[in-house]
Order: sequence, then C-alpha cells, then structure tokens
Amino acid sequence: MVGFWEFQHMTPLALVIQYIISGMTSGSIYAMVGLCWSIVFLVTGILNFGTGEFVMLGGMFTWVLLEAGLGLAPAVLMAVFATVLVGIIMERLVIRPVRFPSETTFMVITIASASILKGMILIACGSETRAIEPLIPAKQFSILGAVITSQTLLVLGVLAVITVGLSLFLNRTLLGKALRATAINPNGASLVGIRIRSLIVFCFGLAGGLGAVAGIVIAPITFTGYNIGLMAGMKGLVAAIVGGWTMTGTVVAGLGLGLLEGLFGGFVSPGWKDAIALLVMILFLLYRAIVSSQGVKKV
Amino acid sequence: MKTFRGYIPWFILTVAILFLPTVVASPYVIGIMVFVALYGVLAIGMGLLMGHAGLFSLVHPTWFGLGAYVAGILSSRGLTSPLLGIVAAAIFVAIIAYIIGAPVLKLRGLYLACATFGILIIAQIAFVQLDDLTGGHSGLLGIPALQIGGFKFKKDIHYYYLSWGLCIASLLFCFNVIRSRIGRAIISSHDSEPASASLGVNIPKYRLQVFILTAVMASLSGSVFCFYLRFAAPGIFGFDLLVEIILMAVIGGLGTIWAPLLGSFILTWLHELLKAYLGQLFPVMTGEVTAVFFGVFIILVLIFMPRGLAGWIEQLFIFCSRTYKQFRSPESR
Repeated sequence: MVGFWEFQHMTPLALVIQYIISGMTSGSIYAMVGLCWSIVFLVTGILNFGTGEFVMLGGMFTWVLLEAGLGLAPAVLMAVFATVLVGIIMERLVIRPVRFPSETTFMVITIASASILKGMILIACGSETRAIEPLIPAKQFSILGAVITSQTLLVLGVLAVITVGLSLFLNRTLLGKALRATAINPNGASLVGIRIRSLIVFCFGLAGGLGAVAGIVIAPITFTGYNIGLMAGMKGLVAAIVGGWTMTGTVVAGLGLGLLEGLFGGFVSPGWKDAIALLVMILFLLYRAIVSSQGVKKV
Repeated sequence: MKTFRGYIPWFILTVAILFLPTVVASPYVIGIMVFVALYGVLAIGMGLLMGHAGLFSLVHPTWFGLGAYVAGILSSRGLTSPLLGIVAAAIFVAIIAYIIGAPVLKLRGLYLACATFGILIIAQIAFVQLDDLTGGHSGLLGIPALQIGGFKFKKDIHYYYLSWGLCIASLLFCFNVIRSRIGRAIISSHDSEPASASLGVNIPKYRLQVFILTAVMASLSGSVFCFYLRFAAPGIFGFDLLVEIILMAVIGGLGTIWAPLLGSFILTWLHELLKAYLGQLFPVMTGEVTAVFFGVFIILVLIFMPRGLAGWIEQLFIFCSRTYKQFRSPESR
C-alpha cells in the first residue's frame, strides 16, 4: 500500500481509484471472513464469534514461524494447518460438550473462546503490531495515476481462487453435497447416512483454514497484531448477514462493504470508517425485520 | 409469617453491608466493594434482560459508559452540579435507549445480539472520535467530586454507602418489577411468545420498558463509577466489560434476580486475586489477560453448571431441608 503522503499530488480521479483499490483489498478480506461465518452458521446454526480470531491467528502464527527461522512457504502452510487445528480443537473442547444447547449458550461460549485466543496470543507474542514480509516480490503497477501493488493483486486472486474452489467443492464433490444437504435439513441428512458430527468438525476446520488464509494474505499490507480479530470478525459477519448467508451474496456484500468503507474513509472520515460497516448491518437487519413483519400481516 | 420470612435475606444483606466497614477497615477492601456494587447493578440488569426477558442485548456496557460520560462531561465543565449531571445522564440514556430499543427490539435472538453488538462497537468508536467532548483515547479528566447538598463525597467509604445504596435499591426494584405487570408479561413472553401474545399481552411495549429500565440502572451505576474514579476512558466500556457482565450473570445463574450480584462479588474479587498473583508471572497484565481466565471460567460454568451458582445453591437448600425434615420426624418416614 502506498503511504498517505503520496496521495497529496494525485488527480481526483486517481484518488478515487486509489480508494477503490484499497477498499477492494479490505473487501476481499471481509468476503473471505464472511465465508467462514456462513460455512459454520449454515451447517450448525452457531454464530462462531471466534472467526475473527482465526484471521488473527493465521497472521500471528506465520509471524512466529518466520521469526523462528522457517522459510516463507513452510511457515504459511504450518500456520494454516495450526489454525485448522485450533478450529477443530475448539469444536471438540467447547462446542460439543454443551449439555443444554441454545443460541445464547453457543454465542456466550464462542465469545469467551475468542477472548481466550486473543489473550493467549497477547501473552505469547506481546501487544506490538507485527509485520510479515511480502509473500510475492513487491511490484507496483500504475492505473490512471493510482498505484496498485502486487500484494493487492494477490489478495484479489486468493479471493477468486477461494470462491471458485469453494463453489466447485460444494457443488461437485460428495462431501460438499453432504454439507449442503446438512445445511438444508440436518435431520434428513442424518437419515440418509450423513455423519453430521464429523461434518461439523470439518466445518470448523474449514472456517479456521479460510480465516487463516485471509489473515496471512492481508498481513503484509495492513500488518497484524493480537487485537485485529474483533474488527475483522465483525466486518465478516456484516458481509455474511447482508449477503444472506449465501456464497455469492457474501462475496458481493464483502466487496461492496470494502468499497463503501474505502471511499468513506478516504473522503469523509477515517476515524468513523469502522462504524459504517456496523451501521450498514444494523440498518439491513432492521429493514429485513420490518419487511418480514409486513409480509406476515399480509398473509 | 411468610412476608416476615421474605424480609430476612434483605435484613441480613443490609446489616452485612452496613457493618462491613467497621469490621474490615482497610480502604482497599472498601474500594473493591464499591466496584462489586457498581458492576452488580450492571449484572442484575443484564440478568433481568437475558434470564427473564430472553433479550440477549449486548449493548449494556454502552449505557454504563454513557452514564459515566454524560455526568462526567456536564460536571467537569461546570454546566450542572454533579447530582443534576447524574439525573441528566439517566434521562439522556433513557431517551437514547428508547430511540435505539424501539426499532432494534423487533429483531429476534441472534440478530438482536448482532445488532446490539454493532451498537456497542459504534458507541466505543464514538467515545474515541468525539475527542473534543470526551477526551478521546486519553480519557475524560477533571471530573469533580460528587456533592449532594452541602455534603461532599471524598472518601471511599462515602462512595461505598452510595454505591451499595444504589445496588440494593436496584435489587429491590428488580424484585418488584418481575412481580409487577411488566415482569409477568416479559416472563410469559419468554416462555411462549405466541401464547402470551394471543392472550393480549403487548410484548413489544413491555420489552421496550424493561430495556429502558435496565439501561437507566446501568447509567446511574456508570455515573457513580465516573465520580468515584474521577476518570472515564473508552476502553473501560467495551468488549472486556461485556464479557465480564455476561460472566457475572451466567455464573450467578440466569432466572434469579439476586444471583448476578453474587456473580459480581465473586468475579470482582477473582479479578483482584488474578491481578495480585499473576502480575508477577506475566509481563503484560491487562484486562485481556484476565479475560483468558474469565473465558475459561465462562466455558466451564456453561458446560458443567448450566444453571449457575444459584441453581447449585438451590439444590443444596433442597437437600438440606429434606434431611432436616427427616431428622425432625423420623416416625413419619
């Protein structure tokens, strides 16, 4: 990402494009995180507030492994693997043993797990902001005066790969079809012999892996730290809710949200940028509630 | 006779509160007990919302923060006397809670939680961004001591009696609320919404009323908090406080009015113990590190003690009274 001081001598058009590029970059991350929320929510009905922490874990694990002297590729792979493991352990340790499952219980439990993960990273790695080295050689391209770096292209590329890969997986493979069947009707799915318990484990692992990838590709651009999880998670939740928990919807909503935020942060106020996403979510939920209550009245 | 027995716990609680300072004179203990009472008010409100009304509202720390900031700003700039500032803060919070609650309480379950969580974070951003008013990250300074009439609240012990007065008042208030029309309405709507709605209970109205009442309670507690600390910062009223309040309500046990106060007592003291003993172990000792232990605690309670301490104590009572009866009349067995 170019420094703020370089924005001084840009034409207005270039400035708009620059904000759009940076908005798309964060939007891709929101889309990926949104996919993590919706995978878990659709199959289990649980809002996993640990999702944002998976993003943080991906970045921080990579930083730790790089500090330990590993090469870039093994560090990234091991960080993703470790986060998948965290997701699976979380499901086994705190989600499964709950005796009286209810929405509230799961929500409190995942919020608590999120603060545990966050605090453990704080204890282990300290509170400083961490940067990891660029994943691919740094290059800059110019579009109408705006600058786009190779890292930004990588983020967009990873989102594209994840979206295509996930939709192929969900539509073409047996496991993917089983996941969709469970999302539609868990009882019916278990009647035809789908083992829901192991699918739930799989979902948490998948969410952990996707979140970690998102955290790793964004880490060279915006840096990482123990406390990025809350905001990253909330933006992803907004994308998933506004996108209606569908895959395409989530990706579109995530990118749109990123654009809105980039332009708002650039032209209106960078400080209030984070509030915009949450405001969008609240307004969307209210709009939906009002529309659905009117629908009931008509019937 | 029954009414008399109903007063016994109140009597014991009041006497214990009144005489604690004469037994334990240490200002440290008194200072912590102030926090027990103030967080207790918050937790009682949260317990009423979560346990009785079934509203999972995560915006509770914001009311606490607004109460602190409004009263603090008004009195530190000399616009009003501190007492008037507290009243103004309560009225302000009631209005804001009405404006927010009226639309947001239309949402159900998880979506209500998401929306209120969004409001919590927006409020925290606002506390930081409106730095002309709130002092931003560095916090609100220069709050004067609380003064009511000619009496100036200077020592910890003054705030101790004030905060416990507020706490016992809100405890009594909540007990009366759940026995009133509002209380019966929200409890019935929590049990079965279609059933109570078809009997003519105006559920949205009563939900909004409970929401505003608990918000005002939190605001009063927040105002006292800011006069006691003479300080308010955005970080105090955020996610960590939310986790603690939920934990207090859940550990105490949902569905009982007094249990969250017990939760507040246990948690606040546990917090102090953790700070005292773990401070040497870990280099960074912030709210986030203690949040790890609280997180583990929350999970263990939810898995192994779903009804909280209150449920556990209740079972103990039932066991004791049964043994006592058997002991008294062996021939009737």
